[in-house]
Amino acid sequence: MISVKHLKKSFGKNEVLKDINEEINQGEVVVVIGPSGSGKSTFLRCLNLLEEPTDGEIVFEGTPLTGLKEQNLNQLRQKMGMVFQQFNLFPHMTVQKNLMISPVQSKGIDKSKAEEKAGQLLKQVGLGDKLEAYPSSLSGGQKQRVAIARALAMDPDVMLFDEPTSALDPEMVGEVLNVMNQLATSGMTMVVVTHEMGFAREVADRVLFMDDGYIVEQGTPDEIFQNPQHPRTKDFLAKIL
Amino acid sequence: MKKSFKAFIAFIILVVTLLVPAQSVYAEDGSLDRVQEKGQLVIGTSGDFPPFEFYAEVDGEQQLVGMDMSIARKIADDMGVELVIRDMEFDSLIPALEANNIDMIVAGMTPTAERRQSVNFSDIYYQTFQNIMVQAEDEAIYDSVESLRGQKVGVQTASLQEQLAEQIPDVELMQLGNINDLILALQTNRIEAIVMQGPNAVAHAENDSTLYTFEGDFELDEEDQGSAIAMRMGEDSLAAAVNESLGEILDQNLIEEYLGTAGEYMAGTSEEDVSENFLGTYWTYFADGMYVTILISVISVLVGMVLGFLLSLMRLTKNVVIRFLASSYVEFVRGTPLLIQVMFIYFGAGVFFDLPALTAGIIAVSLNSGAYICEIIRGGLNSVDSGQSEAARSLGMSKNQTMRYILFPQALKNIWPALGNEFITIIKESSIVSVIGVSELIFQTRIVRSTSFRGILPLFITMLIYFFLTFTLTKILNYFEGRMNHD
Repeated sequence: MISVKHLKKSFGKNEVLKDINEEINQGEVVVVIGPSGSGKSTFLRCLNLLEEPTDGEIVFEGTPLTGLKEQNLNQLRQKMGMVFQQFNLFPHMTVQKNLMISPVQSKGIDKSKAEEKAGQLLKQVGLGDKLEAYPSSLSGGQKQRVAIARALAMDPDVMLFDEPTSALDPEMVGEVLNVMNQLATSGMTMVVVTHEMGFAREVADRVLFMDDGYIVEQGTPDEIFQNPQHPRTKDFLAKIL
Repeated sequence: MKKSFKAFIAFIILVVTLLVPAQSVYAEDGSLDRVQEKGQLVIGTSGDFPPFEFYAEVDGEQQLVGMDMSIARKIADDMGVELVIRDMEFDSLIPALEANNIDMIVAGMTPTAERRQSVNFSDIYYQTFQNIMVQAEDEAIYDSVESLRGQKVGVQTASLQEQLAEQIPDVELMQLGNINDLILALQTNRIEAIVMQGPNAVAHAENDSTLYTFEGDFELDEEDQGSAIAMRMGEDSLAAAVNESLGEILDQNLIEEYLGTAGEYMAGTSEEDVSENFLGTYWTYFADGMYVTILISVISVLVGMVLGFLLSLMRLTKNVVIRFLASSYVEFVRGTPLLIQVMFIYFGAGVFFDLPALTAGIIAVSLNSGAYICEIIRGGLNSVDSGQSEAARSLGMSKNQTMRYILFPQALKNIWPALGNEFITIIKESSIVSVIGVSELIFQTRIVRSTSFRGILPLFITMLIYFFLTFTLTKILNYFEGRMNHD
């Protein structure tokens, strides 16, 4: 579904992604782990071109993303939902409007249909009573669940999660992981950058370990967590487990 | 200050005239034909100078009347054209003439040698006399030029009287642009005396018992005592027509009649009940001025918002040339005084086509405000967290949709207080357009002060009106700010 070839990304002289090759398949849940500064988030943000790759190729559902015209890129982004560490809800809109703005404006979906869908999704993430609330009145966990529902409102084919629980108080991590768990069970293709090793172990089909701009090692959760091969993987896991 | 101001005007005129094509109206003298083809004689005057030019109610409408206006009307009638009067600051008259905004100046102007170098004067149509004005209680102390030795004396900026006052030994001069301000300075003991044109001084003294005036024993050149009409250099056919009309006026002794009519208008505006019912008499002046001030401010802010928004987008784009153009505009407009911009646009445009003063004023204030609003909006857009635009783009929204639905509404909330501040600033600063004769609130206040012979009360009322405008605006802005606040 997403195919990445020789992806490179530099910020000025700082080369963050050195040579990434990766294939993400339909229905797969891929968890990306690694020390901070290893390039995990940049990799994820390159997938929907929030960061423009310096070199290399990204092909999504058969279409190369690099060099796409603005309008076509927008259409492809509609199929790639993204959830951010800092939620990034639109503070000047109610929760319901947050879920409706892009379906109505960029996809041209009927307002009443978008409203209906927003209601369903909010129920699905356990926030059916927050339609009219503004983001500022929600807790961190609630905000992140709204953010997930907002991405889902576009009917994406793949969901990208950029450290979705890192900005949350510990007691709120569970409610967000639950929603993600449900989503994985429903068959959604997911790429998740996270430090939640428990989630990686339980939910991931595949775990990528990144360090210093490369994917150093990858495999099933069992392979990575029980029997890591690369010394840097061992070193990293020893530090956090 | 005065010198640099004059230098600025000279510079503007220079730039403007350099821009004019070689075969301009100066090249050959078709001046009279031009006026008759146009069907309009546009004269400039400075309407705070009774009995020569001042405002009075004629058939329920405020109009410029006085001896000079009667003469101008006679000249226009003789030419068979319509008379159009442009009222502006005395200082702005010669620049306006040179920039083709007006055809001639009829403002009791004395043809001094200095002025003769830049404009063409008609024959002298009125021999005036020069007075000294003092407070009534000083009547016994001052009786001559010599008696004012070493005193502080007021004169109107760039006037003949300014030169005459130099004849007072060891004099300390105070120059102000407005006769009414000089009288106020006299009444509040800031100066001991004013050198004023005779009939004007008499008019004031007759209307205010705290003032006393007498004819000053100045040494005068014959030429310096008269009033004449100023025209552009080289427009001899126009000058000939004017002199012909002036000749008839002198032959038929019409001046006496004109002065008589002016006196009646003055009596009409300065009766006892005027001071008792000040607002009742003059409220239309304030209302008209308030209307124009609001008109200028609202249009300027709206145009300024659109312009500022476009400029801010230009400044945020990746294209270096566009960015450079926008930031050059902003830097230049912010770095030059609004006063000069107003005059540049009005006088500058006048060389090429007839741009009404109100339009010129609105354009200048709009262009100026656009530069400031650009910076406010740019700051506001930068203040929105970058995650907002990333979230919108990741949802597939286009750049325009992101700007319109996500970034701009949030920026607007952040910049609301600064925008409000800019609006309030414009309400107050729009008063600058009074220099080119736009009848906004300050301009109207000047008229009320000269027609009512009251110095302070009109200022106080105007102050209250400005405060009313800005305070009401603040309340409205606060209401909307509250509605945008969801945090």
